[in-house]
Amino acid sequence: MTDGPLIVQSDKTLLLEVDHPQAAEARRAIAPFAELERAPEHVHTYRLTPLGLWNARAAGHDAEQVVAALMDYSRYPVPHPLLVDVAETMARYGRLQLVKHPTHGLVLQSLDRAVLTEVLRSKRTAGLLGERIDEDTVVVHPSERGHLKQVLVKLGWPAEDLAGYVDGEHHDIALTPDGWELRPYQEHAVESFWHGGSGVVVLPCGAGKTLVGAGAMAKSSTTTLILVTNTVSARQWKDELVKRTSLTEDEIGEYSGARKEIKPVTIATYQVLTTKRKGVYTHLELLDARDWGLVVYDEVHLLPAPIFRMTADLQARRRLGLTATLVREDGREDEVFSLIGPKRFDAPWKDIEAQGYIAPAECVEVRLTLPDGERMAYATAEPEDKYRLASSASGKNRVVEQILARHPEDQALVIGQYIDQLHELAEHLDAPLITGETTVRERQRLFDAFRTGEIQHLVVSKVANFSIDLPEASVAIQVSGSFGSRQEEAQRLGRVMRPKHDGRTAHFYAVVARDTVDQDFAAHRQRFLAEQGYAYRIVDAEDLEAELAG
Amino acid sequence: MARPDRSTARRTGAAPVPPSDALSFSEALRGREDAALVALLRARPDLASPSPSTIRSLAARATGRASVDRALAELDTFALQVLEAFAVRGADPHDRAAHVLDVAAVVGGLGPADDVPVDDLTSAASATADRLVLLALVWDAAAPGSPPDLRAAPGVLDSLGPYPAGLLAPEGATAPDDAVLAPLDDAPPGARAILDALTWGPPVGVAPRAESRAVEATRWLVEHGLLERLAGEDAGRVSLPAPVALALRGGLTHRDVRPTPPVPDRTAHAAATVDAEAGRAAEEAVRLVTDLVRLWEQAPPVVLRTGGLGARDLRRLALRLDVDEQAAAQVAELALAAELVADDGEVPASFVPTTLVDAWLADDVADRWADLARAWLASSRTPWVATTRDAAGALRSALDPAHTAGWAARLRRTVLDAAASSPAPLTADDVQDVLAWTTPRAVPPRDAVAGVWRGAELLGVVALGTLGGPGAALLAEADGGSGDGADPVAALDAVLPPEVDDLLLQGDLTGIVPGRPTRDLARLVDDAATVESRGGALTVRFTLESVTRALAAGSAGDADTLLAALARHTRGTVPQPLEYLVRDAARRFGRVRVGAALSYVRVDDPALVASFLADPALRATGLHQLGPTVLAAHVPAAELRAALASSGVSAALEDDEGRTVSTETDRPRTVPPGRRRGRSRYGAPVAPTSVPAERAARAAGLAAARAEAVVGELRSRDALAQADASWRRGDGAVLATPRPDAEAGSGGRRPPRGASQARGTTEPGDLLGLLHDAIAEQSLVSLETVDARGVPVTRTVRPLRLEGGRLRAVDPARDAELTVAVHRIARVVPQAARPPAAPTTRTEDA
Repeated sequence: MTDGPLIVQSDKTLLLEVDHPQAAEARRAIAPFAELERAPEHVHTYRLTPLGLWNARAAGHDAEQVVAALMDYSRYPVPHPLLVDVAETMARYGRLQLVKHPTHGLVLQSLDRAVLTEVLRSKRTAGLLGERIDEDTVVVHPSERGHLKQVLVKLGWPAEDLAGYVDGEHHDIALTPDGWELRPYQEHAVESFWHGGSGVVVLPCGAGKTLVGAGAMAKSSTTTLILVTNTVSARQWKDELVKRTSLTEDEIGEYSGARKEIKPVTIATYQVLTTKRKGVYTHLELLDARDWGLVVYDEVHLLPAPIFRMTADLQARRRLGLTATLVREDGREDEVFSLIGPKRFDAPWKDIEAQGYIAPAECVEVRLTLPDGERMAYATAEPEDKYRLASSASGKNRVVEQILARHPEDQALVIGQYIDQLHELAEHLDAPLITGETTVRERQRLFDAFRTGEIQHLVVSKVANFSIDLPEASVAIQVSGSFGSRQEEAQRLGRVMRPKHDGRTAHFYAVVARDTVDQDFAAHRQRFLAEQGYAYRIVDAEDLEAELAG
Repeated sequence: MARPDRSTARRTGAAPVPPSDALSFSEALRGREDAALVALLRARPDLASPSPSTIRSLAARATGRASVDRALAELDTFALQVLEAFAVRGADPHDRAAHVLDVAAVVGGLGPADDVPVDDLTSAASATADRLVLLALVWDAAAPGSPPDLRAAPGVLDSLGPYPAGLLAPEGATAPDDAVLAPLDDAPPGARAILDALTWGPPVGVAPRAESRAVEATRWLVEHGLLERLAGEDAGRVSLPAPVALALRGGLTHRDVRPTPPVPDRTAHAAATVDAEAGRAAEEAVRLVTDLVRLWEQAPPVVLRTGGLGARDLRRLALRLDVDEQAAAQVAELALAAELVADDGEVPASFVPTTLVDAWLADDVADRWADLARAWLASSRTPWVATTRDAAGALRSALDPAHTAGWAARLRRTVLDAAASSPAPLTADDVQDVLAWTTPRAVPPRDAVAGVWRGAELLGVVALGTLGGPGAALLAEADGGSGDGADPVAALDAVLPPEVDDLLLQGDLTGIVPGRPTRDLARLVDDAATVESRGGALTVRFTLESVTRALAAGSAGDADTLLAALARHTRGTVPQPLEYLVRDAARRFGRVRVGAALSYVRVDDPALVASFLADPALRATGLHQLGPTVLAAHVPAAELRAALASSGVSAALEDDEGRTVSTETDRPRTVPPGRRRGRSRYGAPVAPTSVPAERAARAAGLAAARAEAVVGELRSRDALAQADASWRRGDGAVLATPRPDAEAGSGGRRPPRGASQARGTTEPGDLLGLLHDAIAEQSLVSLETVDARGVPVTRTVRPLRLEGGRLRAVDPARDAELTVAVHRIARVVPQAARPPAAPTTRTEDA
């Protein structure tokens, strides 16, 4: 018990000292039941949550194993009440089960009558359950399977879902590893997902989540519905699938604003699914169109609220969620877990970087002092205007120039929130601009030109926050963003994290106005990346100037 | 609690309480070894103060209701059961010879005890009986050399309550009389049930009136002597006579004997686990008190008019400490008990840290804990009362000076003793059960026990229901022990994990101390960061606010000092974002400054400022420049104005809003205190109201030396009194010897023989003794009483019986009985013993 790599805190966090010789071993031991929360350079923080412990139970681990793992690697005596709490929490799992009854279909069965009574009495289960078959069994409305599981988690009596999956319509899909192969962590991710049934895979930007999706599809070999964020992304998925799997163009359909193709593998956008006309969701039939064997949710952190309810019917099918950043500013991560499934795979960004699969990245915050006139305007502005004023400070243009001057050879993206600012910048830098107004075709053209190196600098709005694949972008300069969104920050960093052919370091700059809300938001935004080990170096804009002059 | 009327009827005019009882008891006492008397006085210290003058008065005191009650309150359940057995068996004076009791007989008649083998029970009962004898609650009436005849001391039966062992207070034979049960075979239906209901007590019940079968059964039982009807105020009730009850019980006095305290069915935790938890709790307690002291240093809460802490301040404290209100109240009480905070006595009063705080804060964790724990153990405060509501519904506040009780410290000791001797982990309810067994006649209130237990858990004296290592050392020290086992500081040190001087700083502005920080490191991170997580390690986050706080507090001084301090503790270098943060904070920090001033000078012309600063006549005002046209001074406005005037500068006086104030009349004015700017309200810390008391608890009971002294005096005085009494009785042999000099020890004044010196006494204790003697000898005494109007009346009477604070006596001259309240007896003078023919009746004036 002395000198272990793990320190168990009374607030249920686990601190893992990364430099300890036993760190890797300990990590493997606690990964099944502890959630990785932060991974900065010296100490990684894990957390024990009821959901995490229940997932461990679902995966076949029991309380003794968890307690043993904690005690084996702990440096100091583990607080006794915590061990008692862990055992009690885990004991709550499995008192209720979802099973397939031969005559009644989906039922909720209990091994502890008192628990069932308590659950039935709760208002939250009203409407989700049907008739009581006997003392220990209750019918469940099949469409409410996911919702019920969510509710039960909230009530503290998670149900073991033994009702199985609908296999779906078989369709041959295989990976075609000709000259390439799945990376070890991608294989691991596919395995973990498959073994768990359904769930979320979290991998850093640029680490190849699409391939993980392809791998899962190959494993499933069934018809697949893929939900993505926008049309460009849909096209990217299609290209990748054609390249890496046995699927041909004809087998993959696109269901978006522009096209409505339903094929064995269909890629749809979240937007089209949530389109309402006269109060009715018009495209819901897509969900019933085929006997889908696998549903893939890309960028699952962006899952819009209506989808939470709507796709509950898909509960009977395997669901895979893919994302790099499962943090939401509205705190609804838990809903993702209970609707899609728990986190099946997670890897610290720095680990993947160390393996060479994503580019090493350096993050820099450049602090700009506002001139007096702007400072006065800021001080007396209305609160809702303050961020816009600060982040659109005129001095930022000059800073962007200076930064680009430091990287004469690199492909760079300049990213921002406010269209006026971006227009100005585009003019200033003499670079093309992509915003929400740019047509899809024009976007594709510009992206292609960027890819080939024809264009060196590109100014983009938040349409380019995710999914677009610009492997050679190695510098990103952010002038403004969606307030304090951590996930946006991480996604933007992700734009430059594809490994470069010459292994060069990627650079991410955030230009921030000092002593304003811009700085406060920046601090919040950077938190996620800092916790992943990407600490920001802070540089004064004046120093940049001096550097260049000198 | 009605006594059966029948026995009173039996008593009138019947034989008086046998003479041998009271006298034999004091003779038996006299016959004890000195060491035994010393032990008795130490165990029942109320008998020693004031010191008894003779053995007889000692005996009288020892059999008095008050003292017996007090002695019984100390007995545990088993001892009471054994004592009841003695009391119940030996009560029949006439049948004395029939039951010579020894321990074996008592034990045999005790009754079954779960899971306790007979041998163990016998030896436990033996040991208990020995103790009861030592306590003079049981005494050996047999002559020396004869087999022991143990019986309960006089007064015990009275004190044991109306139904000792569930039996009707035995007045007659208490031998189980099986013959009595013989007719039961022919009993009508229902008779057995009635008997069963009364068998194990209480032995009195309401006679059935309605149901004919029950009425018939009752009538039959009464006819056959198995039940007795009560009369007078108890009419309508029936009682089960003791011999019948005993027979029904099969001769056993108790149904369920409990030689040991109840032990819960739980497995004990490993000592290492308990110690680890205890250490954790101890650290946490020290931290909470430290936080409280720091909080009240900056913002002392106001003392309520009633003297306690207001509800809103308590809530604020609870929020700040991140505990619930009850725990916050406990922490505040702990600080108060340790005299780290006190009412500063000002008007209005606040709770502020005392002068002890600085030394305490500078100590190590173990020392600080020991101070708190010792203070808690010895404190007479009752913190569990806080946050409850009284009868009127008003909330009782923490730190209320009225919340003390003399028994609080003692209760804490008792609770810890219970924890120490229990083999299984306990909850507060278990402790209550143990205490109910340990002192059944003085069970402490449940909420007090629970409150003490909670306090012990908070401090880490008790962890996981078990007394931890540090707690055991604390208890040992309080018991007067010394050495390693009785050193709470060392014990806690042994249990705390080793200190760590490392700080791991990370790029996300967090820092981690992978263990318990050293004092310096703890201070550093406390000052410069906010704590995020506690436990085996400490995680902190550096923010602009926290770093600024450190710079402002002055402890870090400036950016370089703070960074150097951080670098000292960290492996590697300080991450750039953190370094930048510190420098940024330092840059911002100096920009807004606050200072104190009593008055100011505002001018239009900056040149004037320079001239004022240079003027030697104005130096006394302490003028210093704040801005190009503003100066501040350390003297009040009027004085400054005067100083300027004497320098030839005529200044206008202005108010808060810059309006000129007229000053033609020179009426003195001062700014009301509420508007005074810059005056600090919180002055120097307050000295504690009492010199820190001895923290080690005093040993209970009487010190050995004192008891021995008392016994020594007692023997000598008693010897004189004995000889004196023998002389007075006309003991021939003694007459030959010169009368003992009763005053020899006090200055040599010899009272003349036959002088009208009252031989009697006015001492209440001795008075009872003399009356007991007279009853035993059936002799006369001259009794002086005071009537309702305060007029003294003297009579010569022969005392018959003394009980319940009343004396029944016969006046031979008038052949009338009289009853006198003992407290009205002013003087008792023994007359010669019988025969009354001896012409020795002297009626002396008092």
